[in-house]
Amino acid sequence: MPTLQPSTEEHTIYEIAVLYPILAQKEEQALLKEVEGFFAEVGAKQIAKDAWGRRGLAYPVEGNMEGNFVIYYYEMEPARIKEVDNNLRIEKNVLRHLIVKPPKGYQIVKYSETYEQWLKERETVDQVRSREKEEKLKEQVAKKAKQQARRSDEQRKQETHEVKKPMVEGELQKKLDKLISDDTLDI
Amino acid sequence: MQPNQSFLQRRPDLKSKPCPFCGKQTKYIDYKDYPTLKPYTDYFGNIRAKYYTGVCLKHQKLLRTAIERARFLAMLAYRK
Repeated sequence: MPTLQPSTEEHTIYEIAVLYPILAQKEEQALLKEVEGFFAEVGAKQIAKDAWGRRGLAYPVEGNMEGNFVIYYYEMEPARIKEVDNNLRIEKNVLRHLIVKPPKGYQIVKYSETYEQWLKERETVDQVRSREKEEKLKEQVAKKAKQQARRSDEQRKQETHEVKKPMVEGELQKKLDKLISDDTLDI
Repeated sequence: MQPNQSFLQRRPDLKSKPCPFCGKQTKYIDYKDYPTLKPYTDYFGNIRAKYYTGVCLKHQKLLRTAIERARFLAMLAYRK
């Protein structure tokens, strides 16, 4: 990431964003040539160029729901930026343009790449959300299973108690019988 | 990985919330940086008040200019 510093004090660096509609390849190349021609007329020196490519727009601009962005970094005399601004305004196929003076020590970031990265990461964020949902569901299922296991255990215990009680009674009866039938006992 | 942004929707305790831009020592907020600007606008496209997001006044002013520039270039919506 190169930092921006004007070569001389008379020159300043400008960042120009241009939004143009989706065109056929020939027209697009012609338009870009013309736009770069405006800067060449003024004697500006290109530092960097960042073509974002096709992007969806937040609202329709002259009927276009999609557009192309190009961002230029030019070094030029500040007195002549007005001519470029005027030319860009007159140019037919330029929907929007914005001229900004970046602050001192500004680092050029290629947002065409970072945006794509972000798009990929955002998908992963969605995946994380779905994963969290699945985990919650799994937890709920596990809880239900535990509750069911507990209930079944309790039922079994009750059943075993029910089974044991008659066994105990039978044993008692047997013992009683033994006691009764015991001849050694003298009362 | 992006941080979880659900904190922007919760009603916060303002004193306990540090400014997210002060933590990174940002001097300039770029209008081209869509992923950072997006969470500071609500569903209708309005800028979230700093009371809710915890952004300090200095960075809120930078944010405002960045969002307004992004709106002009149709990267963010004026109104949904």
